[in-house]
Amino acid sequence: MEQNFSFKKYAWAQFKKNKPALFSLYLLFSLILIAILAPFLANDQPLYCQYKGESFYPAFSTIGNPNKKVVFKDGEELQFDLTDWRRLDLTSVVWAPIAYSPDGGDRYNREYVSPLGVQRYKNSDNEIVELPSRLRHFMGTDKIGRDLASGLIHGTRISLLVGVVAMGIASIIGVFLGAIAGFFGDRNLLMPRIKYYFTLLGLFLGLFYAFGVRKYKLVYAFSGGNGILELILSLLVIVAFIVGFRKLSVLFKKGWLAKEINVPIDTFVSRGIEILNSIPRLILIITISAIFVRSIWLIMVIIGLTSWTGIARFTRAEFLRIRELEYVQAAKSLGYSNFRAIAKHALPNALAPVFVSIAFGVASAILIESSLSFLGIGVPDDVVTWGSLLNLGRQEFEAWWLVIFPGMAIFLTITVYNLIGEGLRDALDPRLKS
Amino acid sequence: MLKYLVKRILVFIPTLIAISLLAFIININAPADPVEKLSNTADKEGAANQQSNATKKIKQDLRKKLGLDLPVFYFDFSSLGDSDTLHRVGDKDHVACMKELKHYYGNWDDVSDYFLQLDKTLKAHADLDLNTIHSQQTKYTKNEINDLITKSSFEIGAMLETANPEVLNYKRNELEEIYTNYSFLQPIALQFNLALEKYDKMLANQSSWKSYVPSITWNGSKNQYHFWLFGDGEQRKGVVRGDFGFSYIDSQPINTKIWSKVWISFSFSIISVLLAYLISIPLGIYSAYKKDSRFDRVSSIIVFVLYSMPSFFIGVLLLYTFANPDTLRWFPVSGIQDPTLFNPDWTLSQKISHRAPYFVLPLITYIYSSFAFLSRIMRVGVIDVFGQDYIRTARAKGLGEGSVVLKHALRNSLLPIITVFANIFPLAIGGSIIIETIFTIPGMGFEIYNSILNSDYPMIIAAFTIIGFLTMVGYLVADILYALVDPRISYK
Repeated sequence: MEQNFSFKKYAWAQFKKNKPALFSLYLLFSLILIAILAPFLANDQPLYCQYKGESFYPAFSTIGNPNKKVVFKDGEELQFDLTDWRRLDLTSVVWAPIAYSPDGGDRYNREYVSPLGVQRYKNSDNEIVELPSRLRHFMGTDKIGRDLASGLIHGTRISLLVGVVAMGIASIIGVFLGAIAGFFGDRNLLMPRIKYYFTLLGLFLGLFYAFGVRKYKLVYAFSGGNGILELILSLLVIVAFIVGFRKLSVLFKKGWLAKEINVPIDTFVSRGIEILNSIPRLILIITISAIFVRSIWLIMVIIGLTSWTGIARFTRAEFLRIRELEYVQAAKSLGYSNFRAIAKHALPNALAPVFVSIAFGVASAILIESSLSFLGIGVPDDVVTWGSLLNLGRQEFEAWWLVIFPGMAIFLTITVYNLIGEGLRDALDPRLKS
Repeated sequence: MLKYLVKRILVFIPTLIAISLLAFIININAPADPVEKLSNTADKEGAANQQSNATKKIKQDLRKKLGLDLPVFYFDFSSLGDSDTLHRVGDKDHVACMKELKHYYGNWDDVSDYFLQLDKTLKAHADLDLNTIHSQQTKYTKNEINDLITKSSFEIGAMLETANPEVLNYKRNELEEIYTNYSFLQPIALQFNLALEKYDKMLANQSSWKSYVPSITWNGSKNQYHFWLFGDGEQRKGVVRGDFGFSYIDSQPINTKIWSKVWISFSFSIISVLLAYLISIPLGIYSAYKKDSRFDRVSSIIVFVLYSMPSFFIGVLLLYTFANPDTLRWFPVSGIQDPTLFNPDWTLSQKISHRAPYFVLPLITYIYSSFAFLSRIMRVGVIDVFGQDYIRTARAKGLGEGSVVLKHALRNSLLPIITVFANIFPLAIGGSIIIETIFTIPGMGFEIYNSILNSDYPMIIAAFTIIGFLTMVGYLVADILYALVDPRISYK
């Protein structure tokens, strides 16, 4: 029993004791599941149907081949994404649980149809009748007849993605900067003068080639959709330049240039955190996303780039403590490289408080994104998010469903992350246990 | 202590420069052109040919007056292909397009030749006279001729704003087809062919390597940032003398605009923070004191729920419930006063009683957002303090519970509360953009939001700088308060 004891197991056992946190974790898993399965949970094309003796799986073709076309023997053409499947004379049909897509307006149920009120549709005999209960808009519709339940299901994707991508970026920057600032402090990062200068030179040139030369590529990629990919490529360029120039510096390592100097890395990082913290964050994000291309990916990147300071501060504080501990000293005295001491010895022991800060960070990233789309900034008009749905509700005082449901969705997700954060904090910090 | 203060205040300067410069760079690179808005010729739908030389002159003068024809900073860090005098060219879309062309093809002379020729082609549309053409070409109606001319000018106007080779080629083929089919467009076609020649020459002579060579250009002190900071010796006094310039929207001085709005946000944030403290400090202490009692558990859950509730959701819910003709109409929907009733000559008490109903819902929204956070950290702080040795000592000495809680525990648990206090200053000027937008309160947050939407750069930059400054002051005040509350902390 004692042999199998590990901190991970202990933490997990502690976490499991915290019922709200455990429940939140399950809720989070189901949210992730909803996000992944969104096209099959809410789609205006049936999952399966039989028409004129042939079987189709239209909902599955929305991924990969959205404008699939079928021509029947009698000359009738059926383009999947343009057909109103509800009006076809289908012999058998299996609808998605919510039989509407988030962007398709239902033209018989425009102008804010209440979930409790009368909902209509036009059947195959061209009569306008009341919607059968299977096809009802469970959560009502908005001004142009878009189904709210479907919007919420597809909005789950955006919200979860914002949390993951923004906090992914923030944690990479925050952990990296916090680790080197805390580990080296102001006195311990020594390098030959020439290496220091070349690192700075590499950084400048890297920035130039990554963002100066590639700026149009990046702008077009963000308005197109693969902005993140191009951004990663840009970052790789910077890393390559820095590493390359550091290697190159060996060639000039002579005399005065070879003298070791001290790099006050802690001061650099702390000043940077201070500056970023003094900038009004929401205003910065609103400004950038209001005046540049409207792209949900750009918003994720901006949120990530502006919210690493908390993580960096936690990591730095942990490293300041850990670098004095025996096992790090031992790693150093054994002659291991700094990189190895940081990555293999110090980092795994510093991550616990960082995880907590990331969990809370995800909640706040989701909050910021929904505030932005609530204000109608940054998110393109055709992307349905929880915040933009709530904003629609603000404009129409009778459509209570457009306020309650999206608001509850945002609230639920934020609560889930906050509860997980609390659970993690209690589980990972043995000092709190009495 | 004094030395520490001086040191901290000295750090303000580089930080403020960094913040204002960041705001500057973001705004200057923004695609929206304030001159277009100011000169009120925003009809961009292919009407470039109808823009007379007079309007162009006006725009040019305006650009000069605003200093927008100057470089941004003391030096530029860009590529050989990019650094030039492009900021002198008028229309911002055209500048962006030329920059992009130059980025791709490198050769400035060829790019500018092509661009000017295309511009000339656009101007040639103005020389075509509808009636003359109609009298020569009787087989077309006037409408048809007019449509064709408009289409041609529209397409060329679009070509002036794109550098995408695919789009350019597509438009080029389209236009060539029109010109061969309709001979009366001959004068335009002539100019257009010249432009195409220049375009091909630009492609043939391309030296895109220039975009890969970094270069630093020194601009001297005649730049926008310098003028913003120190003034230009004429109208603008510069930020160092407290002048933030003029708004692009209504040409009012930024200072006047801020002073007329800031008191609203300021009163909201002061009242709400005070009320939030009044509720959350006793609540936090009491639930920490009665830890794990039913009261503590219930209040913790409520506070936690409130904490996760987005403020815009609460705001809209309040509006729905208490300012909705369908449910309860207790409070007005928006604004801070009724413009038909409000009289600026009223006494203070009259003003307050008139405005009170307008303040209720926004204040609740404001209070709740800081209240939930405050009670949570207060509770944790007090629980932490209750576990300390000196509390046990105080109890062991035989002090009464009231004295233990209020004298020994309270003071030590104030530390986290101070951190929040530091946020009051930036909140006072920044207001809360979201809350002020929901309730249409004409405070600073709403003002900043509007200036962002209308690309009123001087206002945005001023907001960044002032809020940045106040945030730093807030941190400093908080640090001083820490030292006052906790004698163990000292700055030497």
